[in-house]
Amino acid sequence: MNEFISEVVSAILFISAGVGIMFAYYFGSNWLLDTIFADRINPDGTVVKSYANTRRRVRPWLMVAPALIFLSIYLFYPAAATFYFSFFNANSTEFVGLENYKWAINNDAFRQAVFNNVLWILIVPFASTAIGLLIAVLADRVRWESIAKAFIFMPMAISFVGASIIWRFVYDVNPPGEPQIGILNAVVTALGGEPINWLNQPPLNNFMLMIILIWIQTGFAMVLLSSALKAVPEETLEAARIDGANDIQIFFRIMIPQIMPTIAVVMTTILITTLKVFDIVQVMTNGQSDTEVLANFMFRWMFRGTGDDGKAAVIAVTIMVATVPFLIWNVRRFSREEQLR
Amino acid sequence: MTAKKLINRTIIYALLILMAAIFLIPVYMTTVTALKTRDETTLATAWNPPDLPLNFSKFQEAFEYFGPSLGNSFALVGTATILSALLGSINGYVLAKWRIPGERFLFPLMLFGMFLPYQAILIPLFEFMSDLGLYGGIPGLVLIHVVYGIPITTLIFRNFYVEIPDEMLEAAAIDGAGFWQIYTDIVFPLSLPGFVVVIIWQFTQIWNDFLFAIFMTTEGNQPITVPLAELSGGEAVDYNLTMAGAILAALPPLLVYIVMGRYFIRGLLAGSIKG
Repeated sequence: MNEFISEVVSAILFISAGVGIMFAYYFGSNWLLDTIFADRINPDGTVVKSYANTRRRVRPWLMVAPALIFLSIYLFYPAAATFYFSFFNANSTEFVGLENYKWAINNDAFRQAVFNNVLWILIVPFASTAIGLLIAVLADRVRWESIAKAFIFMPMAISFVGASIIWRFVYDVNPPGEPQIGILNAVVTALGGEPINWLNQPPLNNFMLMIILIWIQTGFAMVLLSSALKAVPEETLEAARIDGANDIQIFFRIMIPQIMPTIAVVMTTILITTLKVFDIVQVMTNGQSDTEVLANFMFRWMFRGTGDDGKAAVIAVTIMVATVPFLIWNVRRFSREEQLR
Repeated sequence: MTAKKLINRTIIYALLILMAAIFLIPVYMTTVTALKTRDETTLATAWNPPDLPLNFSKFQEAFEYFGPSLGNSFALVGTATILSALLGSINGYVLAKWRIPGERFLFPLMLFGMFLPYQAILIPLFEFMSDLGLYGGIPGLVLIHVVYGIPITTLIFRNFYVEIPDEMLEAAAIDGAGFWQIYTDIVFPLSLPGFVVVIIWQFTQIWNDFLFAIFMTTEGNQPITVPLAELSGGEAVDYNLTMAGAILAALPPLLVYIVMGRYFIRGLLAGSIKG
């Protein structure tokens, strides 16, 4: 308890220090600008030379400078350095060419991780989007829509770690004959089945892990798709109804095509999240029993023994390269929308 | 209502209730388990609601166990959220209301920063932070979250500030207000909804972060997600304790979500589509 209070106190000091540094920068840099580029003024008050234009042009740059500098140091430099490290040995002292890449291609665990990642990205974005869409459509027709949506959205607020811990409990297994605590095995044994070890039987265990991410992401998909569905013009639905289309035809032929852009956004966003999935695998299985994924595999190579940055970097590059197409797609779509504003 | 309509209705409600149940059963089990002792968590009684009066001993135990890391989390989240919100606000103001050369490139760069998987930068970041002497502690982690929060907070604020009519700013400029005065007198006072969205967004993101936490902090400096993950890792897990811990760790973001859910979702929309 005492420790907790002292933590809180240091937190407050910390916040003040951080905010202080920020304001010192903003006010300091402004003061410097105004001092260095002060107008030259005669004693009688007439302006000899005005630097107002210079000040006006420089000032916005001073304001965004911290962001730009920090982003270059923390984003672009490291992304390039990761690439660079991937051609070096374990402690980045010796150039080894494509050795790390050769190692990766011939490494069974790496292949397993790639295979599993592909499985994840084939299933999770699609399943989350489909279930989210189903719920959005159903909830749209009932009176307590907002309550139903609030509940299904709730897992979004919980950390991946917290969600994983909850699901460890769901999947818990004890030897046959002993009481089963895990919810799923309690159901299985109550129905007369043998308890199943959900997490050590490939390929079943992979799907069990995916369910956790689907559980988390469905709420996200539902919220976005629900707002897109509400924007579908009523006239188009009405016209279809007059032409004699039933609900299912209206859904697939009229609604789906109109919300396709949102579906694409939802799927790519979940896809990027899925590609870097780490927390869930780390907490549930740590990659044991053929559940390895790239992000967790990379973590293990960074900290295994003394660590091997070269091999970890190759794994990081793989994740990066896999993300790039979706990243570019998202950036272009975003920029296009911005230009329309 | 025709019979067919009634059947349709029933099916819709049944499906929705089933969905909600599937989504909520894990939450229900977590809550009842956290309020029980180990003996009560057997097959026969696991599903039952806890005995009254409620037994909070596991929460007390969890609070003692997670006390220091909860403190770390609050220090981390408080500092990083406030700093990144302020930075985002100023950046967003500049991007929305001032022409700066090279603006066309800034925007895609921000987006790139938003979507890039952090694995791509972890190894050099690890070395870099070690060289700076910032590896291992909360200050380093604050810096990391502030920096990687810049793109999203800037974009949210920018989209928000674009809506402020230019005429208001021009009028102030004619009255002699400069860059700063326009910000402090006009833009900042109108920013409250923007700050709410950004603070909620950053709060939940940083509170729930595990990747940076486990890579960048050492024993004793860890935010709550790391010891929580470790506690659940061993064999013969004390589920009553881990569930109490999971609830304790989920409570702050859940509170934020319950109290300000509307803004939370708006932030999410802003983060993934646009404001």
